[in-house]
Amino acid sequence: MTTQPPAGTNRPVVTIKLASTSDELLQCYALRAAVFMGEQQCPYWEEFDGNDYTASHLMLYVDGEPAASMRVRWFAGFAKLERAIILKRYRSMGLFIPFVEWAKEFCRKKGYPKAYLHGQQRLWKIFEKDGFHRVNDKPFHFSDHEYGAFVCDLEVGEDCPTVHTDPMVLNRPEDQLDKAGILEQSMDRGASNPHADWTEKRA
Amino acid sequence: MSAIAQSIGGEPVTTKLAMKMEDSLQAFAVRAACFIGELEVPFSEEFDGHDFGATHVIAYVGDEPVGTVRVRWFQSFAMPERLAVMQRFRGHNIGQMLLERCRKLAESRGCNMLYAQALPADVKYWEKQGWRRLVPEEAGSAAKRIVAVVKAVDPSKPLPDVEAPEVVVLRREPQLDSTGMPRGTVSN
Repeated sequence: MTTQPPAGTNRPVVTIKLASTSDELLQCYALRAAVFMGEQQCPYWEEFDGNDYTASHLMLYVDGEPAASMRVRWFAGFAKLERAIILKRYRSMGLFIPFVEWAKEFCRKKGYPKAYLHGQQRLWKIFEKDGFHRVNDKPFHFSDHEYGAFVCDLEVGEDCPTVHTDPMVLNRPEDQLDKAGILEQSMDRGASNPHADWTEKRA
Repeated sequence: MSAIAQSIGGEPVTTKLAMKMEDSLQAFAVRAACFIGELEVPFSEEFDGHDFGATHVIAYVGDEPVGTVRVRWFQSFAMPERLAVMQRFRGHNIGQMLLERCRKLAESRGCNMLYAQALPADVKYWEKQGWRRLVPEEAGSAAKRIVAVVKAVDPSKPLPDVEAPEVVVLRREPQLDSTGMPRGTVSN
């Protein structure tokens, strides 16, 4: 999604997308290293905890420059938003709430009825304003910070994918489920089944 | 040369060359922390397109990646750059350890000169480690943003004086679509 600023203003162009290339993933990791390791002194192995390759990564760009990122992990029944950061020079631009909104919509469109996150206390009011509520009143802590668990209900509608959805819709890039993807273009080539006899050989 | 820490807080200090994706990611993470996080260099300047034609050296304290340097290879010299040590691990000469690893690497490849570009404020750091200005300091040249420094790979074979100052152009980075060499080369 790209937000064009009103004509005649000097506001920047903001783009939010799913990281879908290795370059974009590297940008995501670099931003997290900058904020968590560089600014907050988080150890490398706590920041890069082994879950990066089971997750989806969201990127936000300001005038084309990587500015913010977020990681989403997928559990049964809920999506977990985590590792959300904005690079220092892009803070105070009001990017956080639109980014979380985009993430929630991304989860909703995939059919997840709940977004879940661990919020540091200083941010609780912001999450509450954005439709999240505490799961319980038990705080917990890791990597030097205290957290509360928050959840936000998402309205999963008819537009959300199920096993009965058009299979070619499920093949689309996940942040563009409403637009034809590259595999739909491949349908023009027809089905020549070039490996049809391979299975027979194995059998 | 000052002593190099062999261990910090009981953890051994080691260096290695990046050989795998995860190693490269560690090098990039340390640079991102120092240059983007601490010095607010934009992402697109820090990751300038040369990372996949270079060798990356990483320093560890225990298993924690704490420092890195990138070496680019030119026809007549090796160029260490993007030297970074995580803030809380500074003061242990880890930068020096990384540069020494570069020197040994250059030696093993039969290269006889190291060339680096330093900010004027950092030239003393390099000089303490046996580097010298490529071009002797001129009076009133303080406005120059970047200073070229060189060091012989084999300390017993000092570099001859390099005369023509115009052989190395002190610009930030060659354009990515050029041959990848600074205009002209440093000749011995």
